Formats: sequence, C-alpha cells, structure tokens
Amino acid sequence: MIGEKMDPRKTFGAAVTEIAESREDIVILSADSGGSSGFKEFARNHPDRYFEFGIMEQGVTGIAAGLAAMGKTPVFCAIAPFVTCRNFEMFRNDCGYMHQNVKIVGRNGGFTYSDLGATHHSLEDFAIIRMIPGVVILAPQTPGEIRAAAKAMLDYEGPVYMRIGNPPMEELWEEKEFEIGKGSILREGTDLAIITTGTSTANVLCAADLLAEKGISAMVVGMPTVSPADEALILHAAKKTGKILTVEEHYIGGGLGSIVAEVCGRYCPVPVKMHGVKKEYAISGPYDELLKYYSLDAQGIAREAEKFLTEG
Amino acid sequence: MAFSDKVKELEYISWKCRRNVLRMVEAGGHGHLGGALSAIDIVTALYFGKMAGKPDDPQWEQRDRFILSAGHKCMCQYAVLAERGYFPKDILDTYGSLKSPIPGHPDMHKLPGIEANTGALGHGLAIAAGMALAMKCNKQQSRVYTVMGDGELAEGSNWEAAAAAAHHQLGNLVLFLDNNGLQISGKVEDIMNFMPAGERFAAFGWRVMEIDGNNMQEIMCALDDIPTGGTQPVIIVAHTVKGKGISFLENKAFCHFWSPSKEELGRAIAEVEKRIEEMRTELEVRA
Repeated sequence: MIGEKMDPRKTFGAAVTEIAESREDIVILSADSGGSSGFKEFARNHPDRYFEFGIMEQGVTGIAAGLAAMGKTPVFCAIAPFVTCRNFEMFRNDCGYMHQNVKIVGRNGGFTYSDLGATHHSLEDFAIIRMIPGVVILAPQTPGEIRAAAKAMLDYEGPVYMRIGNPPMEELWEEKEFEIGKGSILREGTDLAIITTGTSTANVLCAADLLAEKGISAMVVGMPTVSPADEALILHAAKKTGKILTVEEHYIGGGLGSIVAEVCGRYCPVPVKMHGVKKEYAISGPYDELLKYYSLDAQGIAREAEKFLTEG
Repeated sequence: MAFSDKVKELEYISWKCRRNVLRMVEAGGHGHLGGALSAIDIVTALYFGKMAGKPDDPQWEQRDRFILSAGHKCMCQYAVLAERGYFPKDILDTYGSLKSPIPGHPDMHKLPGIEANTGALGHGLAIAAGMALAMKCNKQQSRVYTVMGDGELAEGSNWEAAAAAAHHQLGNLVLFLDNNGLQISGKVEDIMNFMPAGERFAAFGWRVMEIDGNNMQEIMCALDDIPTGGTQPVIIVAHTVKGKGISFLENKAFCHFWSPSKEELGRAIAEVEKRIEEMRTELEVRA
C-alpha cells in the first residue's frame, strides 16, 4: 500500500522465496547471513536448497559460480561490503569473467548500517562492481520495486548485483514490472533534473517538493538499474533541463554520478553536479542523522540543488 | 585391456602430450612449463583413463568436470584436450599469439573442454565444490576433479572451500595436489610451509591418499580406489617432479616459467621424441 513502510530485507527474502516455489533451480547460499536476509522461511521449507557456509564470503562466491555452472541459480545475500569488497576477485573472475548466473545481493547497503561504522558501510559498491564487465547492478527504490527487481533478476541470465538497504522503506508508488536497464521519470520538471537511485529516491522526491515551494521545478529521474545505464533517459533529462544533479548514498566518484557524467560528457555536455558522500570513512551514528550530516536528507538535497542553480 | 597394458598406454599418451606442450612452447617462445609437466600424468590419466566425457559433445550434461585450479599449468590441459580430440592440434601452434583460444590461463568461452576461467590462484576448489554440490543436489553420479598446485595452498580461500566441501559431505569431489615442492621463488616449504598437507586436509575431514603423481600405475590405482556415493571429499597428495620428463629441467624452480633458447628447446624435443619412440616400440612388442 502506498505510504506503508516495509523492511527491505524481509521484502526481498519473501519475494525470492515466493518465486522459488516454482523455480527448483533457485538455491539460497548463506554466509551466516540467510536468516537476516529474509530466508528463514525458505530454509525451513526447502532445506535441500538452502546451504549454510558460515562466515565465508570468498568461498561462497566461488561455490555460487560452480553451482551456476551446473544450471542452478544461486542467490547469495549478505552485508553489502562483504559480498563486494571481501570477495571482489571471486566476483570478478568466477561470476563476471565466467559469466555465471549468480545473484549477489548486498543488504544494509550504503551507510544504512549506520552506527556499525565504516567496516559495515558500502559506499563504493557501485563503483567497483560496475568495473566488472557484464554484471548488472540494481538498486530498487521501494519495497514493491524490490519485489519486481527480484523477479527480473531471477529471470535474467547472467551475473547480477543488487543493493538493498536496512531501515523501513516507504512504498512510493504502485508496484509495476521491472525492466533491467530502464529508469523512469518520477516527476516532471524544467529547471534541473535530479537523477537518483536506491535508498535516496524517497528523499529526492521530498526535496523536489521543497524546491517546488520555492518555485523551482525539478525533474526527478529514478534509476533502479545503475548499470547498464539508461543512457536515453539520461540524455532526455540533460536535453530537457540542461542541468543535472545526481544523488546517491555512495561516494561521489565512481557510482551513479560518474555514470551520468560519462554519458553526458560524451553525448550531451551539460553541467552535472554529483552529490553523495565525500571520499572518507563515513562517521557512524543514527541513520537519519547521518543522512543530515552528509546532506542526503530532503533538506540537504534541496540545498544542494538550490546551490547548484545559483552558484553552478 | 589388462590393467598393466592400460597403464602402459596411458604412459605413452602422456609422452605424446609432453610433446604437445613443447609444441606450444615452440609457438609462443615461453610458458609455464615446470608445473605443466609435473601434472601432466595426472591430467592424462583423468581424460584418457577415468573421466566420463565426449570430445565431440563437450557440454554433455552427465560428464565429469575437471577444474584446473592452478590455471598457469594450462599447457598440460591444452595438450591433453588436443590429444583427446577436443580441438584440432594445429590450435596448439597459436599459443602466445593474438586472440589465441589457448591463452596463458584457460578461458572456458574460447576452448571446448575448459570448465572454468582459472589463473588467479585459490579459486578452483570453491568452483569445483559448487559443481559437486549441484551434482549432489541433482543426485547425479558424475564427479568433479581438480588439480591444485602446492604453492597455491597459501591462498586462504582454499581452506574455506576445503571446510565447505567436508561440511557438505562432497564425496564426489576429488582434489589432486600437484606437490612438486617448488614455486617460482624456490622451495614451497621455505616460502610458506603447508606440509604435511595431507594431515591438514585430514583434519578438515577429507580422505587422504598419497601417491607418486608421475607414476601412472599409482595414479590409476588411487582413482580406482574412490568409491561412488562416498561422503568424504578426497585429496590425492601427488608427489611430483617439476619439469618431469626433460632431464635438464627436472626439479629446477627456474622452469616454472621457461623461455628456452633454440638449442634448449631442441634438446627437450629430442629427449621427448626419443622416449615416445621407445614407448611406441615397447607397446608394439607387447601387442
């Protein structure tokens, strides 16, 4: 229901569990992480397709590639930095280079594991995983989109990385079919376009309301597929508004902002301001306060947009 | 065919495969020769004496899988696959050339018979364990065989996979440790000692066998001694000789990556061809 807030991890686990009822090829891999990823019910109902490995992210990633090579569709969900940084070479070689049908899901992405500190934040996952050729990167923006993206991910043949967050996530629109590689205009506008993804989208939409109150018309573009980028939509936004602000719970460099800047730089040079976390080990604390500190709450995003329009 | 005849035949094939390896070195001017020659008897035994597989249908679902974890030893796998008929032998002459389907580390998308893109060490055992787990789920009778180098034991990821294979009772997984005792900088035991490897794997829950990995009879006996339907993964610690078969390279760390002069390559080819001729005559006499 629109406006309802839901746990992204439980939403994801329930979605995959439901799909797996009719998909015998789907197996769940856990690095002591399955229960916290929403797979308790799956583990209970399908012990023959649920494999526990303990805290072993490198090994699990290689094992996932081996399972996929035999026709299984392994889903491996754990805390985002441990399934992107810790196991990077296995992700690159065993899943990417071998082009195996492995689905790796980083939960508690960005700094949503806020007070646990920088070891548990993933502010570089888009950047490092998008350097692996052939890997799709998804960052759904609502609970409904998590469900739809899970289905699209499982229907797609090839390696996928999906990032989901931790705090309850608001249902912002009616659930619709998810098409990998496609973004959408969430709000029309003419003064600038704000392109965003994942957990930041809800705050960007609020920021657009705040901007409207000040007479600023902001287009909001949601990009639940970070890679491959929806280049046509980026260019449409660039041509229509002539100014783009990117907003993401990620380091400023390397992620969605860099992707947008690369596309615009090549095909439609317009000013692009990349907003996110500056390259430092982020501070820890309550999630809402972290968002405020890094100007990733609605007020902060609106401020950045205004500054961009007035100061460039 | 009597077991002893089969062993002789496999020995003969292993020498022809050694010649194939030198053909690649001749084409490329260099290669990871030492490990290729220490492991080549094992790989020959697997492809010609043990594994279920169809060279004319390399994706046949019921095949046994072979993962060369020590991907740099790939010349031995290319040599054996070519000899077994997975691809024409003239492809061996492309070694080292632009866009060759037989690069310095194997690529499953380029060559029939390759099951994984190995090369970075410490990956193969986990991939093999995943395959074995899938076979177990599918109640498939196939097995997964893998060859790992002893220098590779220092990669911690191997021990993750070793624990997982034992925990999940992957009795359909067989690991050959190519224990030639040498790595690029010298003796494995001096660089990072993992011996006794057998005891370490046994402590992880593996069944351990120890053999002379350049003795075809011992290799075949060990393979025949693995029951189907077991619950323990098996490691065969294969004591081998780096550069085995070329007298002036045997047990020399420098042949890990060999860039021979024309004269050295000629000597190596002459030694191997002489042995092939002797073996051929021996087989004819036996027949």
